[in-house]
Parts: sequence; structure tokens; C-alpha cells
Amino acid sequence: MDNLQIGRHISGQFNEDLERVINNVMQMGGLVEKQLTDALASVEQADIALAKQVLTNDYQVNAYEVSIDDECTRIIAKRQPAAGDLRLIMAVVKTIADLERIGDEAEKIAKVALESFSSSQQDLLVNLDNLGRRVLEFLQASLDAFTRMDCETAIKIHQMDDKINREYEALMRQLMTYMMEDPRSIPQVMTVIWSARALERIGDRCQNICEYIIYFVKGKVVRHTTAEDMKNL
Amino acid sequence: MISISPKALAPGSDTSIEKKLDLSNLTPEQIALDINKLNLFYGKKQALNDITMSIPKGQVTAFIGPSGCGKSTLLRSINRMNDLVDNCHISGEINLHGNNIYDKHVDVAELRRKVGMVFQRPNPFPKTIYENVVYGLRIMGENNRRRLDEAAEQSLRSAALWNEVKDRLHESALGLSGGQQQRLVIARAIAIQPEVLLLDEPTSALDPISTLTIEELINDLKKQFTVVIVTHNMQQAARVSDQTAFMYMGDLIEYSDTNTLFTTPLKKKTEDYITGRYG
Repeated sequence: MDNLQIGRHISGQFNEDLERVINNVMQMGGLVEKQLTDALASVEQADIALAKQVLTNDYQVNAYEVSIDDECTRIIAKRQPAAGDLRLIMAVVKTIADLERIGDEAEKIAKVALESFSSSQQDLLVNLDNLGRRVLEFLQASLDAFTRMDCETAIKIHQMDDKINREYEALMRQLMTYMMEDPRSIPQVMTVIWSARALERIGDRCQNICEYIIYFVKGKVVRHTTAEDMKNL
Repeated sequence: MISISPKALAPGSDTSIEKKLDLSNLTPEQIALDINKLNLFYGKKQALNDITMSIPKGQVTAFIGPSGCGKSTLLRSINRMNDLVDNCHISGEINLHGNNIYDKHVDVAELRRKVGMVFQRPNPFPKTIYENVVYGLRIMGENNRRRLDEAAEQSLRSAALWNEVKDRLHESALGLSGGQQQRLVIARAIAIQPEVLLLDEPTSALDPISTLTIEELINDLKKQFTVVIVTHNMQQAARVSDQTAFMYMGDLIEYSDTNTLFTTPLKKKTEDYITGRYG
């Protein structure tokens, strides 16, 4: 939290407000991470109970988003944050929106576990494992970077999304082959495609979070820029 | 089809729609005031250290900083108010149209006609509203009733006060509210058509609504005048100014366009000050 320097405001109340927001974002991040872990595990182990738990817990993620959003609005109204504080609040507001969507994607993935896959079709789901692990790793790294507001790490891990995209495309090709070989598998393959798509989207959202970290630390907007441009920051 | 080059969003590129001025590289036509290596001492104490900055024409420039940082001193030195302070001496230049206002031959009264000033507390003269506004013109020798009437109406309109006082122009100015008095003082300052208007904390004695009226007025005034404002209210500087200069202990720490200064200041001291942190 060194980068944040929250504790140095003359107003102790403002320090507390910001600390509370950051702590809530971390808790929300932890919850979203757990939701994704559970969703992936429920698919892997065909654990219906776990999948249902993911579906019911999503409301908690939403509740975090609403309450943090509310808190940020209040801080803007009462404190008129400027410079670093303003960028922090903006980064938080955007991050929680992305976290909430990651929660929704985890929910979609958990729904796959509820579908009936015959044991022969179970192989299809194995394909998701690799992609799932990689995305989870990316999410953990992004949240970790957010906690420390570590710009260097954010720039470094920003590239992880490229690998995820490549893996997603490879998986798509593979799944298309399945469909061509056995059209009867199309409904199940489609389900797998949707969850692969959900994972790929989570990768994009983690990348967004990295961009907000860079925005907070450097004050530079790096959305829609190339990797080379980012290196020159 | 609209095509946007990816380069348009390269880091460091300007994403704002409005065109920013390059403050370190203004053309002579864009500059209203050019302050060059200004040092100011009160006795042995140095109050301004080597201030160099260009204030662009037709814009609002705000000076912010903690008490005693020299922002009011700098503002006052722009129309030589510091001449009235004993033991105050100055080196360096302030150029208005390329002429140093501290030059020996400068007529201070003439300078103050070009550089008007409004203070923290409204200070109307104990005369009628009308006489307050035309005071400067009368001093300058204008006695033509029609011209004075025109100037009074126009100045009061510019100061957004006309509608409130048009039926009682010949009543005492002291009967106006604080916010009205401050606008009256602004009308008095602009009646003589100065080029630069200096505002020293013009709203610190006013309620929030009068403050907003004055801020709205400042925004209109910049169409005709170059405005320089000193304010303790950082949000006010953020709202009304195009450029902001942050001063600390007599030094000009950071001077840039207001949008940048309040979102991504370059200097740590600026950041600490505007976010309310311990320095």
C-alpha cells in the first residue's frame, strides 16, 4: 500500500474513508477470485453443489460493487479528491465494475457444471482446465498488483492476456474439429465454447485492471495502446 | 466512416478535446504578462525567489499555495501595490506588452489603469452605486454624462449586477449585500477597460451562492480581459482557471494547465498540497 500513501492526509477521516474503500476492494477481489476458483473446480469435478454455491454467492459480489460505488460517490461529493486521490477513486470505480463482470463470468462457467455431460463428453471439459488456470493466475496477479498498486508488475502482467487469447483461439480450433467430427456433440461443445469465451473475457477484464493501476500510478491512459507504447512509459 | 489512428492514443498524447496552450512556448501575441526572474524582498526576507512565468492573454490564471507562499505578493507586484510597502525591493522584470512595469519611466497610475485589482473584502466607496462605477472614469477626466451612463450600464451588465441595481443606481452602494458589493467593485474595476484584472481572493468573504455568481462572472470576463486570481479555495481554482500556478515558500513549484495540475501534477509538493497531505 506504500504507493497509495493514504495515511498521509491531514484529514484523518479522509484517510479512514479511503482505507475502507481499498479494504473493501481487496475483499471483493478475494471473493471474485474464490468464485472463479470454485466455478472452475465445479466444472472440473462435475460438482453440482459447488456450482450452485457459486451461483448463490454472486449476489455478494454485486453487493460489494454497489456499496463500494456508493462509498466512492460519497467521497467525491464530500472530499472533492484531486490528483492521486482522484485517480485512485476513478481506478477503484472502474476496477469494481470489472470485478463484478468477472463475477458474472464465473457464474456462467459454474452453470456449465450443471449441464449433463456424459463421461465420453467429459473430455471436452478438460480442454478448459489449462485456459482456466492461466486466467486464474492472471486474475490473482492483477489483484496482487492492485493491492500494492505496483505499476511495474501491472505493465509486465498486462501481456499475459496475449497468451490467454492465443490459447483461446487454439481451443476454438480444437472445439470446431469436434463439432465437425460429430455434429451430435454440438450442443455440449457450444457450452464449452461459451465458458471458454467467458474465460477469455475475464482475461480482458484483468488487463483492464492492470491499465487502471498504471493510470493511478503514472497518470497515463494506456487503454487502446500497443505493447511497445506501454514499454516507453 | 470515421477512422482513428491508433497513434492518436499513444501514451503521453493529449486526449483532451480542447487545445492546450504550451505555457513555456507562447508567442508574443499570446502573452499578456511576462514575468522574468522576479525576486522580491521585504527587508532582508526574500518573499519571491526567481519567478519566471508567462501569463497568457484572455485566460484565467490562478495562483494557489499555502499562506505565506508569496501568491498575493506576486499578484500585488503585477500592479506595483508593493511600492506602498516600506522596505520592499524588487529585482527582475514584469513585462506588459514588452515593457517592464518596474522601469523608471513608468507612470504607476497609468499602469494601474491597465491592470485593475479587486480585493478580498469588497470595498465600495461610501457613494452611490452609480458614482462607484464611474469613479475611475471621472478621475480620468471623463465628464460627459451620456458616456458615463453608457459605461456604468455596460460595466454593471458585464459584472452581472445590472438587473439587480438598475432601479436604484443613485442609492448608497453600502446598502448592497456582500456579493453584490464585490460585483460592484468588479464593475468599478472594469469600467476603465483595463487589460488585466487581478483578483485577490475575491470570494473568500462571500457565501457559496454569491461565490458561484462571481465564478460565473470570471468566466465571462476572460472574454474581454486577462484575469489573474489568487485563491485559497483549490476547487475554485480548478473550476475557474485555465492555468494554475502552485507556489510554495516564495518559489513557483509548478505551473501548468489546470486540468493537468489537478489530475496529474508533476511535482510531489503540488500533489501533497492539492490532496491535503502533510508536506
